[in-house]
Amino acid sequence: MRIARVGLILPTLYAALVLAGGPAPSATPTAAVTPAANATPAAPAAGAGNYAVDPAKSWLGFTARQSGGDVDGRFEKFTARITFSDANLAASRFNVDVTTQSVNTQDDNRDTVLRDTDLFNVAKFPTAHFVTSAFARKAPGQYEATGKLTIRDVTREIHLPFTFQSAQEGGKSVAWLKGGLTVNRLDYGVGQGEWQDTSVVENPVRIQFELRLLPQ
Amino acid sequence: MQLRNTLSRWGVVSQTFHWVIVVLIITQYVLAETEHDMPLGMARFAVLARHKSIGLTILALAVLRLLWRWMNPTPPLPDTLKPYERVLARATHFGLYFFLFAMPITGWILSCASNFPVSYFGWFTLPNLVAADKGFAETMHEVHETLFNVLVAFAAVHIAAALKHHFWLKDDVLRRMLPFTSRTPR
Repeated sequence: MRIARVGLILPTLYAALVLAGGPAPSATPTAAVTPAANATPAAPAAGAGNYAVDPAKSWLGFTARQSGGDVDGRFEKFTARITFSDANLAASRFNVDVTTQSVNTQDDNRDTVLRDTDLFNVAKFPTAHFVTSAFARKAPGQYEATGKLTIRDVTREIHLPFTFQSAQEGGKSVAWLKGGLTVNRLDYGVGQGEWQDTSVVENPVRIQFELRLLPQ
Repeated sequence: MQLRNTLSRWGVVSQTFHWVIVVLIITQYVLAETEHDMPLGMARFAVLARHKSIGLTILALAVLRLLWRWMNPTPPLPDTLKPYERVLARATHFGLYFFLFAMPITGWILSCASNFPVSYFGWFTLPNLVAADKGFAETMHEVHETLFNVLVAFAAVHIAAALKHHFWLKDDVLRRMLPFTSRTPR
């Protein structure tokens, strides 16, 4: 499982490097993913390291409020192409594709509703996308990425606070990228028809992630 | 009308506990069946949330009811009962009390296992008893439904016995749990 996923990510990363400067490759070309035309090339500049996500120890999910309580969900499938260096923020870049079909809230009924047309509409919008355009250092190890988040067919600029920490784990150099922000689901159209009502499922949704990064 | 129990009659408080819980359990059944037949959507989740809130109400009432029972005299079973009937009556009553706790608690666990928050009418949210786990949630769903079927069987015995006492044995076993009936000595 873990090997299979890493095996998927490596060619993707390679393709990203080869295609640097062109549109970022997307797992699903039909997705309403529009990479920023003026995006920084994914090729690593001097001092900005490339990382692959360790899927076994990384997660990307969200916390929504339903009926007055927290509901945690995860996206089981996503790819993140991470180029980052504290010393070279200008060359740093995150490029994340999330397979909306892979949403998992531990309840089949709810996941069916989430995948349906009124919420993620995975048949029409199979991928959600995030790509950065700028980084700022807020404190040692703490940063803010400015980027475009696309969910369904809506793209909005967001400011994503995150931490980046290098670590040694089992004699291996790794890095932990952790962060999150709260978005309003209705800003992205996640909630058509009756789901525009926020009395059962509230509008703010907290997106969170912890990525274990392996230097490439 | 007397609030506390006497040895010959259930007081108003005990009667209220009894009948309010009866009405709430019937409501729970109706909500569960309604939810089951609804199309997936917001209304269905809302019905489920209501079912949980009422379940919690029953759990709270069950706690208070036992406390009240402990603080009050309990009208004894009629002397006319045969020994096996006494055992049957006690077992049925014990079982019914057991379900007042088992149904809400299994429902609560089921809800946590399916990663649904248990909110009390939106006022506050209960802590999670178990981690979200789809397989465990399905098991708890089975347990919750099976327990209800057993509850119905216990309730049927309970109702049949009450009617037998009232119409056949013509004693006051049913009457002493009914409001608005005069206190009649046996």
